[in-house]
Amino acid sequence: MSEPILKINKVSKHFGGNIAVSDVTFAVEKNRIFGLIGPNGAGKTTLFNCMTGFVPITSGEVIFNNRKINNLRPDAVCRIGMVRTWQRVKPLSSLSVLDNVMVGAFAITGSAGAARKIAVEKLAQVGLADYSAKLAGSLSIGLKKKLELARVLATRPEMLLLDEICGGLNHTETASILQLIRDVREEGTTILFIEHDMKAVTSICERIVVLNSGVKLAEGTPAEITSNPEVIAAYLGGGFDA
Amino acid sequence: MKQALIIALFAAFTALLPLFIGEENPYIIGIMISVLMMAALSSAWNIIGGFAGQFSFGHAAYFGAGAYTTLILIYSFELNPLIGAAAGMVVAALIALITGSIVFGLRGHYFALASIAVAEIIRLSVLNFEFTGGAQGILLANVTLWGLDLNSKTPFYYGMLLLLVVTLTVTEYLRKSKTGYYLQAIREDQDAASSLGINLALYKNRALLISALLTSVAGSLYALYIRFIDTSAVLDLRLSIEIILTAIIGGVGTLWGPVLGALLLVPLAEALRSNMIGDALVKLGLVSETSSVGIFLNDNLAHAHVLVYGIITVLCILYLPKGILGLFRRVK
Repeated sequence: MSEPILKINKVSKHFGGNIAVSDVTFAVEKNRIFGLIGPNGAGKTTLFNCMTGFVPITSGEVIFNNRKINNLRPDAVCRIGMVRTWQRVKPLSSLSVLDNVMVGAFAITGSAGAARKIAVEKLAQVGLADYSAKLAGSLSIGLKKKLELARVLATRPEMLLLDEICGGLNHTETASILQLIRDVREEGTTILFIEHDMKAVTSICERIVVLNSGVKLAEGTPAEITSNPEVIAAYLGGGFDA
Repeated sequence: MKQALIIALFAAFTALLPLFIGEENPYIIGIMISVLMMAALSSAWNIIGGFAGQFSFGHAAYFGAGAYTTLILIYSFELNPLIGAAAGMVVAALIALITGSIVFGLRGHYFALASIAVAEIIRLSVLNFEFTGGAQGILLANVTLWGLDLNSKTPFYYGMLLLLVVTLTVTEYLRKSKTGYYLQAIREDQDAASSLGINLALYKNRALLISALLTSVAGSLYALYIRFIDTSAVLDLRLSIEIILTAIIGGVGTLWGPVLGALLLVPLAEALRSNMIGDALVKLGLVSETSSVGIFLNDNLAHAHVLVYGIITVLCILYLPKGILGLFRRVK
């Protein structure tokens, strides 16, 4: 078992009396593809928001590379190497596709020339090279998701938090994104992956945590998760055949 | 590179213009100074308002800081006007950084609201302090600098032109640099920007500071040019609004939009104020001077320039959301 890069230690998030995340604990090992699943409202995105400094944690700690990062601002979280994508894509709409990725690349360089070079490279990697000059707002949803991916990759993250990167995509698009994610992992990036698409999750993740109503329900390999009766009852509704 | 060349050509062309118009036409030169000043002000506003998307409704505060600081230091301490202008920049920077550091930590429209509040606080303070001349303002009989004839309009024409060229150059430099990309990212989506490592407050403050410094220089030049200032001339909310409208009508977030806006609006306002449009209608025989329409126009058109600004703005927002410059842009 290799060293965990990320530890979530008894993290809770309350919005007033509403408990969105309750006492969740898990650890992600370096260079893994780790899945975070659960039905709507399970608290997955809230947990991402807590980890990346977008909402303050009520209690518990988030430890990244042996450093407690509870109180860091989102931009600081990015600069220490943990970068997220958004479930609802957030393209910089009136900028070109290339400029969008350059904004990401500026996290690791101050020079526009170097940023452009990184951006061109990352656009080629996700297959958006032909769209460089297009306005980001004009892309289809599938391409916007790829743009999100290129943009976070340009920051050279140590760890990627992907929030439903396959949501709303067709089979071909999903397959190509999943292949991209595998490639990124090969380059040494750790991936934490929120997904609804069970097939996608079980095909790509080595370990999975299941959240339900803000509570951790189970953790294990895809095979363990898909055969866990509690998970099937809560999330899969009993009708899932893997 | 291309834009830098266009800026240089623009500067050269504009610098040569007075040679053709000549000293005997001070009225025209005066209007051109106003155009250059509004172009510089609107371009400076564009850095924080257009690129960073943080709408300041209080840029008169920075203009007034430059104007008042310069004239007070000359009037009360007989300091060199350049020291006055430098001190004006310091005052403007302090106003910008204090406002920014308080408000940019917050999300939403707080900055727009706070910018109005700060500008009004400053206007009312200046109106009530004694050392600022209160409601009477400050009148300066004579200013000297390096033997230049500051009673002539020419130094101020070139002063405003220089300021505009500096502002355009700064804008172009920013646009191509990390800071410019970050400002535009902030304008487009603050959450996306901060998740990509952008320190929102730092970059907004930086943009506001640059914008405020340039605006205060325009205020100093204006004060030395007119040599009479009061709060209604240099600290009024109306000035802040005119700066914004010029940028919106020309094209927000573009390099040349504010210049285009100023080229259109300042002469238009002047034509309305001096009743030039009413007179032209009479001369063309479209309206008789003694008819009720002619009398109405003669009495009212001069006061209508704010109304006309308003109408043009509404039309722009409806039909040209990217400003006049948007007309010339190919849609990608």
